[in-house]
Amino acid sequence: MTAGRTLGQFYPVTSLLHGLDPRAKILGTAALAVGLFLVDSAAGFLLISAVVVLLVAASRIPPGTFVGFLRPVAFIVALTALFQVFFSREGELLLEWGFVQVHEGGLVRGLFLASRILLLVSTAALLTATTAPVALADGIEDLLSPLKKVRFPAHELAMMITIALRFIPTLHEEAQKITRAQAARGADFSEGGPIRRAHALLPVLVPLTIGAFRRADELAEAMESRGYRGDEGRTRYRELRFRTRDALALCAAALVVFAGILL
Amino acid sequence: MRIELENVRHVYASGTPFEVEALRGVSLPVEPEEVLGIVGGTGSGKSTLVQHLNLLLVPTSGRVLVDGADARTIRGGELRGRVGLVFQFPEAALFAPTVEEDVAFAPRRLGLSEGEVHRRVGETLGLLGASHLAGRSPFALSGGEKRRVAIAGVLAMAPEVLVLDEPTAGLDPATREDLLGVVRALREEGTSVVMVSHDLDEVAEVADRVCVLENGEVRAVGAPEEVFYSHPTTAPSTVRVVRPLRGPHPEVGRPVRFEETLAALKGLLEGRV
Repeated sequence: MTAGRTLGQFYPVTSLLHGLDPRAKILGTAALAVGLFLVDSAAGFLLISAVVVLLVAASRIPPGTFVGFLRPVAFIVALTALFQVFFSREGELLLEWGFVQVHEGGLVRGLFLASRILLLVSTAALLTATTAPVALADGIEDLLSPLKKVRFPAHELAMMITIALRFIPTLHEEAQKITRAQAARGADFSEGGPIRRAHALLPVLVPLTIGAFRRADELAEAMESRGYRGDEGRTRYRELRFRTRDALALCAAALVVFAGILL
Repeated sequence: MRIELENVRHVYASGTPFEVEALRGVSLPVEPEEVLGIVGGTGSGKSTLVQHLNLLLVPTSGRVLVDGADARTIRGGELRGRVGLVFQFPEAALFAPTVEEDVAFAPRRLGLSEGEVHRRVGETLGLLGASHLAGRSPFALSGGEKRRVAIAGVLAMAPEVLVLDEPTAGLDPATREDLLGVVRALREEGTSVVMVSHDLDEVAEVADRVCVLENGEVRAVGAPEEVFYSHPTTAPSTVRVVRPLRGPHPEVGRPVRFEETLAALKGLLEGRV
């Protein structure tokens, strides 16, 4: 009945990180992400890893749960890292076994790449786990609002993100219902090869798509009947407030990034 | 075919903060060739209960017996063919380009010959009064027509037990009456029907036995007159009319169905004149 914890799911507890302004968190995450691409030393990666561990502790998300968030990318990280290790021919030869060769450069590159991806995903997971979807969308809207002057639909974009996020659990539940209804009619989603299995999914995907369109129509009508006219003259129930601690957090993030690059 | 739930418990999201105990030890038989009505408020566990009848949900503890044998020993596909389950708002799962194709889906999955599939589709659509819709797209039908087609999609497997979860929710009165007629016809042919409903009046019309669920437990089960006349909060309108008359006029008896009640009241009036 309940969706498993997946990447990008909000984890509702109160913590220092949960209390920060979403704009500070978005900018901080962006800074760390850019920084991660520029860091190129073991010391730099160690520093940022330490900071991420501290942030996870500050978010009061149980470490086990947080590691669970990263599980979906584990395979890709392992695969790309192994590619680097086995196919890079730089530096000293460390190991040779048949045609397999492991060079020092490859090993270092593989480790760096794995750390880079894992840390990137960790910071993104921290952002979405500590920021309610609505706050996240509000933050994005606010950060993009200067672009409204050049007619960039910042409000509409944020509204679309909010609605999309809101409908993930709804569609998930709907998919489960339809899956069970088709299972009751003898549908089997586990037998046969990939093509047969994809074909077996049609009885679920068709009604799910039709349902999504119907929902979209109903939602649009419900919004209009409540007077929604888009951005014009719209006020917010929750105003965003950028406090001193948000500024401090942002400065700290910038400092970490600079230190990481310089190290 | 006789299905028996034996002390079935079901816990959703076990071991998480969202844990819910939907069924707390339910024991209930579904006898051959009967219409069993299951009633109870929202959240009483009705929908969870019926999904155990074909093991779409597996009990957290307890057993489901089919003709005395543990249902888990029967192959999933076979069990689902023998116990047809129609979910609430089954029209949400229509998917094929034509009504005929959609109804043929389940019997085809049973591995029947094309001729037999075709015969069953025709027969089932006929029973549900939807033969004229066979060539149309299921998405272009009215709500009532969709419901008929969706129910046909399960009935085409010719199950020994048909389970209907709120089959008449949101339907127009004419389609509702037709569906209750189908339930009666199926019972005449020897198919058991389990019908979950919020509408006590329609349960009163078709049920041979009634089970009242409350908070995941069986609060009462038995003949309709037993259940409806002993639980004041669970009574169809016929019983609500007759019950106050039983004090001064015990001879009115315990009618439940509309026709019975009408006859009993007529008898009462004629006796007074």
